[in-house]
Amino acid sequence: MSCPYLEYQQSSDDQQFDEQRAYCTAAGRFVQPMRADICNDRYELDHAEHCEIYLEHEDGTDR
Amino acid sequence: MSYEEFLAGEPVIVTAALTGGVHGTEANPNLPETPEEIGRAAAAAEEAGASVVHLHARRPNGERSFATERFAEIDDAVQRYADNVIIQHSTGGTGAPAGKRHLPLRTDPSPEMASLDMGPLNRYDHLTSENTRAMVDALYEEMVERGIKPELEVFNDGHLNEVHSLLERQELAEPVYATLIFGDGTLTRPRPRNLLNAIDNLPDGAHFNTLGFGPHQLPFATMGILFGGHVRVGLEDNVYYQRGELAESNAQLVERVVRVANELGREVATPDQARDILDL
Repeated sequence: MSCPYLEYQQSSDDQQFDEQRAYCTAAGRFVQPMRADICNDRYELDHAEHCEIYLEHEDGTDR
Repeated sequence: MSYEEFLAGEPVIVTAALTGGVHGTEANPNLPETPEEIGRAAAAAEEAGASVVHLHARRPNGERSFATERFAEIDDAVQRYADNVIIQHSTGGTGAPAGKRHLPLRTDPSPEMASLDMGPLNRYDHLTSENTRAMVDALYEEMVERGIKPELEVFNDGHLNEVHSLLERQELAEPVYATLIFGDGTLTRPRPRNLLNAIDNLPDGAHFNTLGFGPHQLPFATMGILFGGHVRVGLEDNVYYQRGELAESNAQLVERVVRVANELGREVATPDQARDILDL
């Protein structure tokens, strides 16, 4: 299951791309391609274990 | 290799790391991502003086791909646009299972070279790229089977021990070729004396390539040229030309380091000279 904060979009306020790219709604920015693999839980990666943005955001939400 | 090689005017091999797998066009819109873009970037880098191109593969949206077919598409584009440049595939892949790490070695024809990460390094805050000895050996053995020259990537001083350990476990063809890498995090701290120390601790007869990440790219390339080594530049490792100014292209970064080499009196190796130096 991919990260709930992941969206695919082509543009933000300051960036525009030809293809939809991984955008982190928690961080408010497009993420690096390697980080996108974490967002998507690809290979041996898990957003709930490996992404500090997710972990910090969930921690803040739980308080 | 040493300062004597510099004094002797031995040619310097320039490797262009064109695309990488960590950041993409979200960091610099000039970074090539598609096979077509990478092929054209390889040609421009070769024209500027690079004799080796270090390649990663990506999906159409810039995300990482380890697929053999994707590497083959890139190789086709490089060969279509470039003249005679040496192709080096990355086998790096944080978080990717071992099986996927072998796929870039399986193009037909094989790449002339491939990278081999010599041990673990941290990524972000909760992730480590493991690169176990078993994985290093398995990748190395497949490289030997396929006639691929390994480029040993030394991210820190512990990895120098791993180079010596690999030499005890395997019979590496000479010359051993190691890239000494400097930057933040798990990398060797980017200080000049650390480069000298790393050079001193390489196996006898090894050739070294010098790689500084980010703002360390140009100073470490310059030191690498002076200390008789080879250099790697490109948008994989550094997206800026100077502070606050994004690089326009990989070729722009190659042109600059070639100017430095020429000013310092070192000839830049052609692809065929690089093949001779590395015994490809």
